[in-house]
Amino acid sequence: MVLWILFAFLTAGVAAILIAPMMKASRRLEDDREGEVAVYRDQLRELERDRQSGLIGADEAENARAEIGRRLLSAADAASKSGGDAATFRRHGLPAAFVVLCLPVVGLCLYLTLGSPGLPAQPLEARLANPGSNMALLVAKAERHLAENPNDGQGWDLLAPIYFRLQRYGDSELAYRNALRFLGETPARLAGLGETLVAASDGLVTEDARGLFERAIALDQGNMRARFYVGLGLEQAGRTADALRAFEALAKDSPPGAAWEQLVAQHIAKNGGTPKAAPLGNPTAEDVAAAQNMGQGDRQAMIRGMVESLSAKLADDPRNIEGWLRLVRSYKVLGEDEKARDALKAGLKAFPGPQPEAQRLLALAREIGVSLEGMTQ
Amino acid sequence: MIIELGHFALVLALATAIILSTLPVIGARRRDPAMMAVAPIGSLTLFALVAFSFGVLTWAYVVSDFSVANVWENSHSMMPIVYKFAGVWGNHEGSMMLWLLILSLFSALVAIFGRNLPETLRANVLSVQAWIASAFLLFILLTSNPFIRMNPAPAEGQDLNPVLQDPGLAIHPPLLYLGYVGFSVCFSFAVAALIDGRIDAAWARWVRPWTLAAWTFLTAGIAVGSYWAYYELGWGGWWFWDPVENASFMPWLAGTALLHSALVMEKRDALKIWTVLLSIMTFSLSLLGTFLVRSGVLTSVHAFATDPTRGIFILAILTLFIGGAFTLFAWRAPRLKSGGIFAPISREGSLVLNNLILTVCTGTVLIGTLYPLVLETLTGEKISVGAPFFNLTFGLLMIPLLIIVPFGPMLAWKRGDLLGALQRLYAAAGLSLFAAVAVFYFRHGGPVMALFGLALAFFLIFGALADLWQRGNFGKAKFSVALRRLAGLPRSAFGTALAHLGLGVTVLGIVAVTTFQTEGVVEMKQGSTTEVGGYTLAFDGMRDGKGPNYTEQRAHFTISRGGVAVADVWSSKRLYTARRMPTTEAGILTFGLSQLYVSLGDPMADGGIVVRIWWKPFITCIWGGAFIMMFGGFVSLSDRRLRVGAPTRKAKPVKTVMEPAE
Amino acid sequence: MTRKQKRLAIIAGGMSFILCAVLLVLFAFGQSVAYFYMPSDLTKTTVGPGTRIRLGGLVEQGSIVRGNGSTVSFKVTDGQQSVPVSYTGILPDLFREGQGVVTEGVFNSAHAFVADTVLAKHDEKYMPKEVADRLKKDGVWQPEGTATK
Repeated sequence: MVLWILFAFLTAGVAAILIAPMMKASRRLEDDREGEVAVYRDQLRELERDRQSGLIGADEAENARAEIGRRLLSAADAASKSGGDAATFRRHGLPAAFVVLCLPVVGLCLYLTLGSPGLPAQPLEARLANPGSNMALLVAKAERHLAENPNDGQGWDLLAPIYFRLQRYGDSELAYRNALRFLGETPARLAGLGETLVAASDGLVTEDARGLFERAIALDQGNMRARFYVGLGLEQAGRTADALRAFEALAKDSPPGAAWEQLVAQHIAKNGGTPKAAPLGNPTAEDVAAAQNMGQGDRQAMIRGMVESLSAKLADDPRNIEGWLRLVRSYKVLGEDEKARDALKAGLKAFPGPQPEAQRLLALAREIGVSLEGMTQ
Repeated sequence: MIIELGHFALVLALATAIILSTLPVIGARRRDPAMMAVAPIGSLTLFALVAFSFGVLTWAYVVSDFSVANVWENSHSMMPIVYKFAGVWGNHEGSMMLWLLILSLFSALVAIFGRNLPETLRANVLSVQAWIASAFLLFILLTSNPFIRMNPAPAEGQDLNPVLQDPGLAIHPPLLYLGYVGFSVCFSFAVAALIDGRIDAAWARWVRPWTLAAWTFLTAGIAVGSYWAYYELGWGGWWFWDPVENASFMPWLAGTALLHSALVMEKRDALKIWTVLLSIMTFSLSLLGTFLVRSGVLTSVHAFATDPTRGIFILAILTLFIGGAFTLFAWRAPRLKSGGIFAPISREGSLVLNNLILTVCTGTVLIGTLYPLVLETLTGEKISVGAPFFNLTFGLLMIPLLIIVPFGPMLAWKRGDLLGALQRLYAAAGLSLFAAVAVFYFRHGGPVMALFGLALAFFLIFGALADLWQRGNFGKAKFSVALRRLAGLPRSAFGTALAHLGLGVTVLGIVAVTTFQTEGVVEMKQGSTTEVGGYTLAFDGMRDGKGPNYTEQRAHFTISRGGVAVADVWSSKRLYTARRMPTTEAGILTFGLSQLYVSLGDPMADGGIVVRIWWKPFITCIWGGAFIMMFGGFVSLSDRRLRVGAPTRKAKPVKTVMEPAE
Repeated sequence: MTRKQKRLAIIAGGMSFILCAVLLVLFAFGQSVAYFYMPSDLTKTTVGPGTRIRLGGLVEQGSIVRGNGSTVSFKVTDGQQSVPVSYTGILPDLFREGQGVVTEGVFNSAHAFVADTVLAKHDEKYMPKEVADRLKKDGVWQPEGTATK
């Protein structure tokens, strides 16, 4: 409401300013030849100066003086003859009406189509002071705090898993590393960093990550997460026997009914063993929930979990090229070509036209063989 | 709320501009003082509305209000405050706002300082300014609106393009636009005169200071832009003949011509029609530049994020204004009376020659810039016209102009004495040849053309000094008398001399750099050294650094001469985290007028790094000369005579101060 | 000379200057204009060794090989064909695999492209216009929608 009142005041003010000159008592149009006369006089003076300093020859100066003199005479003549227009009183009803109509009509028509009158200004400081439950703002606030106090290990420690959940793996890695630097190594941090590295490389347990997990295990034999990933690494390296041993040991050391029981069982089965807690039979509701929380079994299922949340996230915020690349690749890995194509299309829609993001998407599509059929007619 | 108020002010500015476009010009036609009186106050209102709107946008940047899409796209909360301010015009929408702000500022200045202009002329000029403002307001509101909001607002912005995060951004665009847009005043004056069908003497008195002001700012803007590109892009070049550079260079060339033809018109009432035409052409080239930069029709390092609708919109504006103005010119120009007579060899004659050469040079740059575009449209063939083309055509065509520059001020008005001028320049010519040979000798030779180029540059410098020498009558009169005479000269005489001297200095820099520059690309490891330009460069190793919104790898070099360390320099590769975008920060060391330029390439697997080093003798002369030219412009602007010309009204006593440069 | 003759002489002088300029421009166009090609164009037309051209496309994934010193070789591709390019000097900051690039140079006698200029422009959103146009024309591009918000 206040906004509209201000708009009205502004419009009225501008209208008043523009109408005011037309409301004054009419006056005679002043003669504009007098100015010209003065200019010619000045030119004559300058000519004299130029002559004295030798910038113009004496004869030429004489000619120039004659030229200017002729113009001066005709101007002075015209000035005395015309004497300006007679003072006539004119009405300015029409122009005034034009002003009064034009301002609000143009103003409102354009503003109503373009403006967002309902939106308040949102300076970042004020929003950070009152972040509510906005995850992005909370993170931004924490980031600010850390930018000022980069040695606050506690802050990094808190932020790292949040980044991981937001799939900002690069930031997450940095946060974990800082936390490790300031607060020292704990199994949880080491394993967290390892998990981040794994996620960043699309589920592959890299050499670096394996080192971290092993250090975590060295600190705490009971860190099941680290042990699981070490097993996964062995499995990916094709060392089936070692992987099987690792998973079996993990299954043995796990408390019964652990959330990851099923997951481990699947890997045991995959590596040629016979899981004790067979993933058969009727899993309890608890098991299902736990398994879902854990992000399901083998690499495929793990990706599927990620993919779903990613897909949802991208629907909210489509301008995330890394996200789209990951999504297309993931669907392809899952063998869901149809979905991969849909994701590709949606991604291209988010980055239309000549943008390198679109190009990256297309390059990926070509690389992994997602066909573009049905896209280009 | 404040954001929406800014948006509404912008919409209201459009309505005001529409009113301003119509009422005063109708008033002038009907000789109705009341309707014409709307123009000055309306122009001030327009400026106030645009300035408020611009201020709101700036505020949104400063407080990082990411609910404004434009702020979100081009800012970051961690950015240093100076870039938050400058970031406002570091993108398409914001830079159009700056364009508009400066346009309305110029209108307001005309309204304030134009009290002594003939009323109809002032009303027409301000109306024409308002036409331009309306077109660009409509363009901004419909295609490039900076006040589009986002709901919900993101928590962090996407950062300003790292290449733009540089003090250059704070200086270059405002100066450039002050120049570009300043020529709109000349355009409006020309169109107003054509509408009126008559050019009175006050017209000529007015056009020159505005041209001078615009030209001065444009000179500074181009120079700053050139230096910025030089140190930021890391390619070691200072001018690329890039279409966008050409887009700012063409108005400068035409503006230089206008500056000189307006002089003839002001003093001798000659070249009226030509000056009007040149005013129109100069601003048309400014508009063309705006179109080229923003429509995405050309490949350029400056390309803004492009959008075809914008291109078409600007093309429409371009056609409307340029086409309209030229049609009006064709219709009305025959009515204008031409004035003063002069002999071919005279001050006027030399200025006409200057105009001829400058216009032809502008033409070649225009052809080189547009030819690829035309060819592609007609045949679909894609070509690139690069530096070799421009160096050949523009470079050669400019030579006669450079030769005649020192002669111009030596010639008398109306009928000059070429022989006399030659005699007066003997000493200058001799000195320049001597200086050129001396430089040539100390540089141990080079292409013979370099000798010629150097002599030409020195001729410009000494010629400008000779002009002052002659006018002070040094050598003939007693020194103290001559000094007093010199002090008594009008400031515009110094302005001319400074501008011509600056041109000489720039030419000197260009010739020296192109012929004597040495460069090397070497792979360096920690501890290794390399030689360039007589200096020894030792690579001391890399170090990691961190800025507010970037991380960097800095390489440290120690520079020594004859075994003695004389300086050290850092050169770095930065990574701006928000956009994951790398930039190269070149290390530049200045030795006198010359510079050593160190740019980093990619690190090698074995810990070495590729380093590109240039030794650029006399390179600072290029920009130094431009700043001398700019200074000359300001000196000339401060000349009292420019202010007395325009007459006062009887009713208002001697309040004739007019300073368009402010 | 009469005044009329003088005037004619001046006009003739001006005209001859303009004529010189026109001839110079035509000459320069013949000399120093580089045509733009994409890799698949080069299978259709033959470009003689020593002719300056611009070659545009994308930097092929995994094709960048750093030789000794500052020489780099890579392949420029348009999805169908690719052309090996060698370049000595410092690559632009935004030169990456999979990114658009425009190189300028000549084919040497061994029919290898030697570039002396490599442009991968300023902005990370930037795609060289020639490259973008062609990719669009070849249908690899999705022409739908333009504005990005």
